[in-house]
Amino acid sequence: MLAPKPMSRVLIVASRDQAEPIIQELYRENLFHIEDYVEQGYEGFRIGTPLEGATEASTELIKVRAIENVFSIRGEDIDAKQKLSQPQIRQKIDQELSGIEKEVEELAGARAKLDAKAKVYEQKIAELAPFREIPVDLALLGGFRHFSVIAGYVNHDVSLSVPHEIQVVKGRDRSFVLIIVPEQNRSEVERLLQDAQFQAVTVPEENGTATARTAYYTEQITSLKKEIDGINEKLAKIKESHTDLLVACEEAFRAKIEQAEAPLRFATTAKTFVAEGWVPADREKDISLALEKVTGGKVFVTALPVDPVHDAVPVEYNNPSFAKPVQMLMDIYSRPMYTEVDPTLLLAIVFPLFFGMILGDVGYGLLLLFMCFGLRRVFKGDDGRQFLKVLRNASISSIIFGILFSECLGFELPWAPIIFSRHLNIGVAEAGGKGPAIAELMILTIWIGILHITLGRALGMINHARQDHGGHRTKAILANLGWITVMWGIIIAIWSMFAIPLMPDLRGLPVIAAGLSLGMVIAIVLIVMGVIFIVRESPLEIVELPTIISHVLSYARLMAVGLSSVAIAMVVNYLSIGMFIGPALKNLTVFGIVMIIAGVLIFLLGHALNLALGLLGGGLHSIRLHYVEFFTKFYKGGGRKYIPFGMKRRFTED
Amino acid sequence: MADVNMTLEMVQASQVGMKALGAGMAVGLTGVGTGVAEMGIGAAAVGAVAENKDIFGLALLFTVIPETIVIFGLVIALLLLF
Repeated sequence: MLAPKPMSRVLIVASRDQAEPIIQELYRENLFHIEDYVEQGYEGFRIGTPLEGATEASTELIKVRAIENVFSIRGEDIDAKQKLSQPQIRQKIDQELSGIEKEVEELAGARAKLDAKAKVYEQKIAELAPFREIPVDLALLGGFRHFSVIAGYVNHDVSLSVPHEIQVVKGRDRSFVLIIVPEQNRSEVERLLQDAQFQAVTVPEENGTATARTAYYTEQITSLKKEIDGINEKLAKIKESHTDLLVACEEAFRAKIEQAEAPLRFATTAKTFVAEGWVPADREKDISLALEKVTGGKVFVTALPVDPVHDAVPVEYNNPSFAKPVQMLMDIYSRPMYTEVDPTLLLAIVFPLFFGMILGDVGYGLLLLFMCFGLRRVFKGDDGRQFLKVLRNASISSIIFGILFSECLGFELPWAPIIFSRHLNIGVAEAGGKGPAIAELMILTIWIGILHITLGRALGMINHARQDHGGHRTKAILANLGWITVMWGIIIAIWSMFAIPLMPDLRGLPVIAAGLSLGMVIAIVLIVMGVIFIVRESPLEIVELPTIISHVLSYARLMAVGLSSVAIAMVVNYLSIGMFIGPALKNLTVFGIVMIIAGVLIFLLGHALNLALGLLGGGLHSIRLHYVEFFTKFYKGGGRKYIPFGMKRRFTED
Repeated sequence: MADVNMTLEMVQASQVGMKALGAGMAVGLTGVGTGVAEMGIGAAAVGAVAENKDIFGLALLFTVIPETIVIFGLVIALLLLF
């Protein structure tokens, strides 16, 4: 808990003829994080060569992926129906796959050809477009010896001084002109046209009028489209019947390639190979036993000593299952280092609490919860599922806080708020009840801030104690303690001067020296001591002192963002019910029914918008309080991800 | 400033109005401040995400950092009003 999984560094040595069973076993176990061998001058050691069959499998994989691309299938979007066993998949690959490959290739090729043809025709239609207003056979516009045909667009009318024939088609901001002039006047006409910003258009080489040709090409395109639709239907049929096989094949080939290429990451000599890597410490025994079993004892497996600070130990989270989804939020920030406190568990507990405090509303919470279950059909990937689990926990917390705040879609539930009221006086003529307990809520959030930041600094002390050495270690630990004492010093000083609800009032303490009360003296001692500790580590840190106040106050957002969401909900209710539906119901007319419909629309749209805002606000602000205010106190991250050699098989069996 | 003809009620009403104005300005002006700050960050964040989708989470986070300012404004406004 609060620390990554302990890892062991394992060395596997065996003769090269044992490579295949060992690799297969390691792949099946899916535990061994391979440390890539880099050639660095150990005499006799070289990077290994791939096992047999790697090239063939790669070619096959490329083909399968090409088909999957044609169908836009992605393995992670597909629910595994049944797992194919190795012999089954082998048989299917031998018998069916090449047939499917051939068929799909042909169909896709034919479709591409038809598509290209349709494009050409569309291009021709576009070229013909300007000539459609001119009822002349296009064949008559070319092949003259003594005349020139000029076609194009002009910005304004032109008057030509030479003998000519002109057809003008007026457009909105420019006109299309078709001019026939004697050959010897051509250059003069072109010069005149230049003034009208002439843009030439080539006359299409066609037989017949432009309208007739356009109609012909349109017809052609329609028939091409029909053919393409036919091909698409055939492809859809193949997709329907073979999706499962394709994803299974992809998985099988991928597994094969990954296994075959594993020796590229090992160090090998002429007769032996050496694989180095990491396994979770509690599984180390299992691995060595399993390897001895598959090789009949012809393998040497040993654990190497680990230096947690200098070895880049891969990091695997070690959390109870309810905290696992939050690992996604940790990875967005950064994976913890091996020696660091892993705050995932804290995040898993505090994030939903913050979310619930912000969006404490039974109605919204239930809506979000339904949304989670609905979206499970859409989000099939691992990340998506994890995200939905985080959202689920958050919405449950939102419902609980909604009960405590007595809120449902901005309405009051039949009981008084159990903790503090967030009901604003919106849409009520006379202030009903006590109104919102703003001050108390704010103090509560600030208390949360103080405790959260103190916890963060305490964790910072632990981290420095674990990671640093020598004189710097003491200094760094004391500096973190210094930040805590300065913060508490400021708080005690404030308590000694002002009475604040929900906080101790220290104004009554006896005055002991120089007109200062006991509280003040303690505060000054704490602050001065803290500042000295901080300066001893790094004097520059002094400029960061104001962040003590700003970071603590930042937690007020827990109340502020929540209140704004309550306010929007109440305004929506007042608008829709108080101003539209209520008056209309008093005396029902035709206009009244329109009013009611408008009111219902406002209600639905308003609450949908507020729910979206609440989700964004509640989620972002809760996570931000962790990332910016909490993590900056102790957390560095930058750990290396633990990527075991192997695969979670979904469509095939081993 | 005080007009001789003003009654006590008028003064009180005017004070309530001033409070409301102050609260509105606190939220409005800090909102503008946040907007100005998020303008640059948001533009850079969108650019960065276009280059590399993996940093979406971090980019979103950077974008909401200046929201603290408007929250301070809201806190002040609420303290003024209640």
